[in-house]
Amino acid sequence: MLGWEFPPYFAGGVGTVCYELTKALAKKGVGVTYIMPNGPEEVSSPHVKLLVANREIKRLGVKTLRVKSTLTPYTSKQEYSWLNRYNTIVSAKDHQQRALYGANLLEEMDRFAISVEAIAEEEQFDLIHAHDWTTIPAAIALKNKFHKPLIVHVHITEFDKTGGEHADPEVYQIEYEGFKQADMIIAVSNFVKRRLINKYYVDPEKIRVVHNTVETREREITLVKERLNEHDKLVLFLGRVTLQKGPDYFLEAAAKVSLLIPNVKFIMAGTGDMLPRMIERAAELGLCNKVIFPGFVTKEQGEKLYRMADLFVMPSVSEPFGIVPLEAMKQGTPVIISKQSGVSEILTHALKVDFWDVDDLANKMVAALTYEPLHTTLQQHGSFEIQTFTWETPAEQCIKVYQEALQRPIVVMHT
Amino acid sequence: MHQSLPRGTTTTYRCYAHIDGSTQELIELIIQKNGGTKNIRGRYMVSVCFYFQVHQPFRMKRYSVFDIGRNHNYFDEQKNSEVMRKVAGKCYIPANAVLLELINRYPDRFKVSFSISGVCLEQMKLYAPHVLDSFKALAATGQVEFLAETYYHSLSFLYNKEEFYEQVRKHVQTIQELFGQTPKVFRNTELIYNNELAHHVEKLGFKAILAEGWDPVLDWRNANFVYKGKTTDGLRLLMKNYRLSDDVAFRFSNRGWNEWPLTAEKYARWVNNVNGNGHTLNLFMDYETFGEHQWEDTGIFDFLRALPGELFKHPDNSFKTVSEVIESCPMMDEVDVHNFISWADIERDLSAWLGNKMQQGALDEVYSMHKAVVQSGDAQLLEDWRKLTTSDHFYYMCTKWFSDGDVHKYFNPYESPYEGYIAFMNVLNDVALRAKVKIARNGSGVVSPQPSKHVMPYVG
Repeated sequence: MLGWEFPPYFAGGVGTVCYELTKALAKKGVGVTYIMPNGPEEVSSPHVKLLVANREIKRLGVKTLRVKSTLTPYTSKQEYSWLNRYNTIVSAKDHQQRALYGANLLEEMDRFAISVEAIAEEEQFDLIHAHDWTTIPAAIALKNKFHKPLIVHVHITEFDKTGGEHADPEVYQIEYEGFKQADMIIAVSNFVKRRLINKYYVDPEKIRVVHNTVETREREITLVKERLNEHDKLVLFLGRVTLQKGPDYFLEAAAKVSLLIPNVKFIMAGTGDMLPRMIERAAELGLCNKVIFPGFVTKEQGEKLYRMADLFVMPSVSEPFGIVPLEAMKQGTPVIISKQSGVSEILTHALKVDFWDVDDLANKMVAALTYEPLHTTLQQHGSFEIQTFTWETPAEQCIKVYQEALQRPIVVMHT
Repeated sequence: MHQSLPRGTTTTYRCYAHIDGSTQELIELIIQKNGGTKNIRGRYMVSVCFYFQVHQPFRMKRYSVFDIGRNHNYFDEQKNSEVMRKVAGKCYIPANAVLLELINRYPDRFKVSFSISGVCLEQMKLYAPHVLDSFKALAATGQVEFLAETYYHSLSFLYNKEEFYEQVRKHVQTIQELFGQTPKVFRNTELIYNNELAHHVEKLGFKAILAEGWDPVLDWRNANFVYKGKTTDGLRLLMKNYRLSDDVAFRFSNRGWNEWPLTAEKYARWVNNVNGNGHTLNLFMDYETFGEHQWEDTGIFDFLRALPGELFKHPDNSFKTVSEVIESCPMMDEVDVHNFISWADIERDLSAWLGNKMQQGALDEVYSMHKAVVQSGDAQLLEDWRKLTTSDHFYYMCTKWFSDGDVHKYFNPYESPYEGYIAFMNVLNDVALRAKVKIARNGSGVVSPQPSKHVMPYVG
């Protein structure tokens, strides 16, 4: 399995998914060797054989190059240029990422490919399972050398990172090549599957949808709420303030809600390239006293915000999966999510809107804040629902894909 | 059977035997005052009592909070007319044609009973008048009986008896006007039933009522006899044989069912098996079974067309309308139903409409407005409000089976129970507002509309 990160060494979204998935796979008797490009001296995991490419190749004596850049795997190129200009409000997460991947990402990816090829000589494996575009050059190299089936696991595409329309051509080219060479593709949602078909012209026949999940134990759930103050209700947005996350739709709806319910406050937590514009827009809408912008929040602060909020809103324009609403539900907070998200495909006890339908979003915000039985039902059914999600399900689905891939003739591309 | 009897009394004894795993009554003895015994019944044949429910609600629009106070058109005319026309084409018209054909083929022998909700009749009038005409044609044959129910297909009995009486009166009047009959038998919404309801229905002058033949209330009895409702003087209780009814209504096209395919010949054999174990076989189902739930290509119409012929091969078999059943079959025992039962879901209780807080809240609030809406003196407002009492609106809010994607979802015009609840509550807020404005304008102002813990703060 090829991935770009693995906890505890930078636990981003995809890293966490890789961790949980390999753990569940191991329980089902699947042996996983996980190779990632960077990591500290001592990495190990009880359930996978974890290899850090940059150290393995030193051992093997392979030479590679390093070039300076700030591009990181899960931000778009636009954001990347913005990062340079607004360095003062860059989130801790971004800092961490840049420290990690200081090198030019594309160079780093090529370097990873060379290393992986060398490392794999010493490994026994039946197939290649590669996560997202950054591992694609390595995955293709591996496939070509060892003639094993390749499964590409798509957590996000370039189109999602850039709000739906403008993909970076270089990234697109790598993705396109990877999807073409893949024997099978795992998409984390039908939303991603449609993207693959419509934007990358992938044959739907080789795509399988395996939804991500979050495992929640009963003791992790709290229905004890905190209050912002005595008389105000609180609606929360938490995420990167970028085009992809739809913060502008949140503000437009907030303005409509404020007209109907006077005692409500809104929090837009997080940072991103659209934050300055959002602060201006809130002022234009006359929401200065209504919307609070706390900037970047830590995990603990986030959890406190979820508990304080009467309602969590994720109005994403484009969300391949979107795990945040599940975090809010853990803290007993009802959620409104956009239908343009993968998570809306598996969540039943959530209110759902089209991100562009600001009237409907406002309608549902008012309803969830006003009709107490709605609030209670969402809260109770929701906290029950998230406890039914387990990693066993996606692991089983992956194993099915493995079995299928092993039975198929390997896709051979002449380039 | 040694027992000394006081003079002037009779005592009834019944003999039972276990046959094929079920308790069957073989003989009934009446010991008369002179000590002689008289065998009044031996083994006997059953008659088939078909009763079809016909109902379509006035579905609501996705009414937003921003519509409150601005837009008083709550109902989705386009959707409702679409559904009525679709169901008319797939079910009502072809199924009525089959029934008419059978009635003509078997004069005085093939009988069916219907209950058509008032809101459904209204929509036929509006969107598919030819359907109404075909029901009138059935009524004119004299072989079709119409039952009474609440005009709005509501749960009013549970919340407001005065309103319940009113809705029943309105339905009876409608049936009289359209079909020239006065209903003698009552069926409550979704066969919701208990002792108290039986008492009220008898007071309204009905001779019988329908209920689900649910095993826990039947206890050792079976559904194939006529019973008396407890707490009534003699209101007959006709109980649905849900196994044989559901074989047609739910299982007919199920290829995973080991009896698939169900032929008329096989089904007639099952009916004949009931002989000796009952007087009436109550086959109660939604009329939309024919062509809408079970599509035409499943062979459901051929099945219906062939069934009477197969049954009449046995000369003692017959069809009866609900009134004929109560006239010809003796009342066997009293059935005590304290808690409400219904014909819905596996629980057969009220949980399909009252299973969660949204449903309970919405029902509480809609009925809490009754007084204000009546007091407003606004006929249109009252009519709108009554359409909101239709049980389907609450059924749409059911979260019980939501994730299983079964029948609840099939019938739900909303994407989720939450959408249904939000639209309903928004409409209710507009109704409250209209009532309030009207009462203030009338100047009577004694009773203020008392909806609601959950009215928008800005309303009023």
